[in-house]
Amino acid sequence: MIGLQILIDGFAISSLYALGAIGFTLIFGVSGVLNLSHGGLMVIAAVVAWLVAGTYGMGPYIGALAGVVAGLIAAFITYFVVVRPIQNSRSIREVEKEIFILTATLLWGIMLQEVVAYFFTDTPKTVPPLLSGVVNLLGVRTPSNEIVTAVISWLAIGLLWLLVNRTRRGKTLLAASINPRGLTLLGFELSSVYLLVWAIYGVLAGLAGVLLGAFLGVSSNSAGLLTASAFSIVVLGGLGSVSGSLIAAYVVGYLETITAYLISPSIRTVPALLLLVLVVYLRPQGLLGRR
Amino acid sequence: MLKSPKFIATIIVIVAMALLPLGVGGYVLGLLTLAYYYGVISMAWDLLFGFAGEVNFGPTFLVGTGAYAAAMLNYYAGWSIAACLACGGLAAVIGGLILAIPALRLSGPYFGLVTLVAVLILQNIIVLFAGTTGGEIGLSVPDVLAIDPVTNYWYALGFMVISGALLCGYAYSPVGLILQATGQDAVEASALGFNVTKHKLAAFCVSALFSGLAGGMLIFYLGTVSVGTVVDLTIAVQVIIAAVLGGRRTIIGAAIGSIFLIGAGEILRPLGQLSTFVVSAVALAVILFFPGGFLSLLQRREGAQ
Amino acid sequence: MSATSGERAVRAMLEVSGLTKRFGGLVAVKDIGFSINGGEILGLIGPNGSGKSTVMKCIMGIEKPNAGTVKLEGQDIAGWPAHRIARAGIGLVFQHARPLHRQTVLEHIILALLPDSLWLLTADRKVRAQAEQIAARVGLQDVMHRLPRTLPFADLRRLELAKAVARNPKVVLVDEPFAGLTVGEVADFSALIASFRAEGHAVLLVDHNVKGVAALVDRVLAMYLGEYVAEGTADEVMRNETVRRVYIGGKIETAARPPREDKDRTPLLDVRGLSVLYGKAQALEDVSIHVGEGEFVSVVGLNGAGKTTLFNAISGLVGSAAGTINWRGESLAGRTPAAIARGGIVQCPESRELFGDLSVRENLDLGGQHNPPAEARRQIDWLFGLFPILQERQGQAARTLSGGEQQMLAIARALMMHPKLLILDEPTLGLAPVILELLSKALTLLRQTTDITILLGEQNVTFALPHADRVYVLEHARIVWEGNPARFAEEAGAGYL
Repeated sequence: MIGLQILIDGFAISSLYALGAIGFTLIFGVSGVLNLSHGGLMVIAAVVAWLVAGTYGMGPYIGALAGVVAGLIAAFITYFVVVRPIQNSRSIREVEKEIFILTATLLWGIMLQEVVAYFFTDTPKTVPPLLSGVVNLLGVRTPSNEIVTAVISWLAIGLLWLLVNRTRRGKTLLAASINPRGLTLLGFELSSVYLLVWAIYGVLAGLAGVLLGAFLGVSSNSAGLLTASAFSIVVLGGLGSVSGSLIAAYVVGYLETITAYLISPSIRTVPALLLLVLVVYLRPQGLLGRR
Repeated sequence: MLKSPKFIATIIVIVAMALLPLGVGGYVLGLLTLAYYYGVISMAWDLLFGFAGEVNFGPTFLVGTGAYAAAMLNYYAGWSIAACLACGGLAAVIGGLILAIPALRLSGPYFGLVTLVAVLILQNIIVLFAGTTGGEIGLSVPDVLAIDPVTNYWYALGFMVISGALLCGYAYSPVGLILQATGQDAVEASALGFNVTKHKLAAFCVSALFSGLAGGMLIFYLGTVSVGTVVDLTIAVQVIIAAVLGGRRTIIGAAIGSIFLIGAGEILRPLGQLSTFVVSAVALAVILFFPGGFLSLLQRREGAQ
Repeated sequence: MSATSGERAVRAMLEVSGLTKRFGGLVAVKDIGFSINGGEILGLIGPNGSGKSTVMKCIMGIEKPNAGTVKLEGQDIAGWPAHRIARAGIGLVFQHARPLHRQTVLEHIILALLPDSLWLLTADRKVRAQAEQIAARVGLQDVMHRLPRTLPFADLRRLELAKAVARNPKVVLVDEPFAGLTVGEVADFSALIASFRAEGHAVLLVDHNVKGVAALVDRVLAMYLGEYVAEGTADEVMRNETVRRVYIGGKIETAARPPREDKDRTPLLDVRGLSVLYGKAQALEDVSIHVGEGEFVSVVGLNGAGKTTLFNAISGLVGSAAGTINWRGESLAGRTPAAIARGGIVQCPESRELFGDLSVRENLDLGGQHNPPAEARRQIDWLFGLFPILQERQGQAARTLSGGEQQMLAIARALMMHPKLLILDEPTLGLAPVILELLSKALTLLRQTTDITILLGEQNVTFALPHADRVYVLEHARIVWEGNPARFAEEAGAGYL
């Protein structure tokens, strides 16, 4: 019984991790940015959804929509106010831009976290689920919302896959991640490619935040942990590799669930962290390397 | 050389800082005491980042290892503070070596990530062995450096001045020059006949030693050791921000940045929770508009004259 | 600085044999061997991608060779870490060094004088005096207290030489000694390098072509595609048939072509007085060229002459320090590279810039995205006719193609955009003669069936001339000759290699 429980819970949480990490890896693959305010964006989205759906009583659907839009807006602000000025800066040398973007997005993430903490305190907030109730799944009582979470996550991932592999605009994203200079020579403005990828990223991060808020609840304090978990998953799967991130999300998700159920919930992240260190030492390019 | 006016200015500032207890109360002194200890950690971090060219996202791994080693020896074995500090520093160096020997093979974000994960693992271990370490609540150490805030202030100031002098001495010595060359371009440095790994590892050890000592001093000042004061990632972030704010590759800038951060947090205290927001925003603005940090502003003015 | 070369020359100071280096499946260096005696200068030459720099890096220990030996005075040092090789007595003068920001010139020289120790906490007076001497020797005495970023380019290169002098290695490797220098500076540097020889050091100069180093070297070894081509005196190597074929492409032939009647019209592309700086190095100096509608213009010049820079400036990829670039009478200043490409100037770069993980078809589709789908499909069909091999390979990932196929794909992808002006940068680089013929035929077909205008940059004169209506010769960042291809052989051909 507990095996099945782990299987179901692990699947839901892993899907959510995958959704959270996929945007993170996309933005790195296409524009080379490691966005350490990732967790902050997710928290903003979750809190807006909670606010609109719960406090303003607009219902879970409008709430979720508002959360996703908030994620999108926050992503654009991150790009225009924090990332792009550094990328275009003349006084920061190229080799140092990476560390500057890391530090700046980290600070920005703290600012987002503090804004939420200031206006809404740092208590955990649970977004009203899109679907309430409990269903019996092969003898395991599973909240409907858990299933919704997994289904929506996979829908979003599937749509992203279609967008990138089956549409003309999507192909330019792929091309930009392989050879941005080549894309420029073909007459595509990289700036508009980046705009598109940040938009996709914002929607994905927003959605992940809303679903997480409905599934486990989110507090302003979780921002750092969320960033760390996305970062770990992405590195485990290989920086910039979308399929690697998906696999890594499941490895981490199940490892955590198994640890929590069989050993102790208090150390649920430890085995995954150790695995991460091991992988980074033995295979720095990650499980799958670059696509 | 421009050295003498700078040196005189530094001496004047240090004397002024030493005389500060004559003019200000215990509360301010307490804040500055904290700022000085964190300042040492920031300076040790800048040695790695600014000179060896390695981004250590987990300075608190080194600080925490040193602090907890010192605290546990004091608590369980009842060793003297001096012995505990020495062992804390040593433990940080050993921990740093275990981390750095494999990690230095990695480049770019991977080195940063491993150091970041090291902090999380240390944090988890401390919580896991809560019975011995005190877990989330922390552990009270039996001994403290001093009870009187003025004495504590002088201890911290002395510690910072000595550490700063030693770190600067190292960074601006011929070895520091080699270290900077390895950080700037490892290939060229090795073609000039320098063993890059050896120099970076040495810098990591020095950084670890001062971080560990600072962690030990900090807990014997506070009287307790806890994750929140010496391990937590928010502390690591503060350390890094202080160094970047003050000006990278300067060592001293890191201490200035640290004092600024604690000072600004205090001045903004009336804003309550929002103070962290404002401090972060100011730090972000400095990074975006004056990427060289405070010291570069000073230097620019000096150059203009 | 006395020259006692007599007793030294008995045993080779540096002896390389069977050196091989692979990167994945690519063999960058294949079974290369040579020796240099003390007091001798060997030139190692080859075009981009010939593997000459890899040889240098293998000697220095920056890359580990897969096979072969590198003997320094009889001791095999192949595979040692770089710092040990450096201490054993090999020094490398980097072409693009990254100096420290806050250290003066003198401190940089002091750095090179330091031993590899962790315990050097105080500066030695003697070291300082020695560094000052070295600064004076290379001509940096007046700027030794300045920061590198305030120095002109030539002084930065002097600083690199000074570091090599300070290390006093038995063997000195110099990477592209004269790149980016003026004629006067070249003379200075030659004298400095010759002084290494006079002191009994063994010197290896790595450069693109013989001409640049001919006056300085005792012997030359030429490489192409990772392999040995020829060895001998500079004259012998320049006369060598294989070398001529690699560089010039063998006998120069030109096809007679009726003059085009576009004299009075505004040229399609008009570049005037263009200067480009890379940092402090002059990459282009007062270059003016024009291309008329329907014309085929070739810019010939050796590697490093500035062709790629010229094309990148036209495409908006590098900024210019002076001069104007007009396209159909309008300035291109302020337009993004992508806008310039959409405006009709499409570049097919030397590096090809394919999307390696995408299929051949996907690469072509991306090129055709700006046009309506039906038109893009027609264009693809037409291109498959021009390059039938691409049709066969259309499902394959671009990086799995051979070099020649990749070049065809790059050209085809550029043509998908319906360019008014197609810029081809070194399309023949590293390709086998059979492929060259194929490309040549495709170009002929292209000219006969379309009204396209082409600007071709080539080192291979035989490839560039038959198609051209007009030729420019680019040398050392300047245009030194302009005329029609028939006159090239008699007027410019002789001094070219």
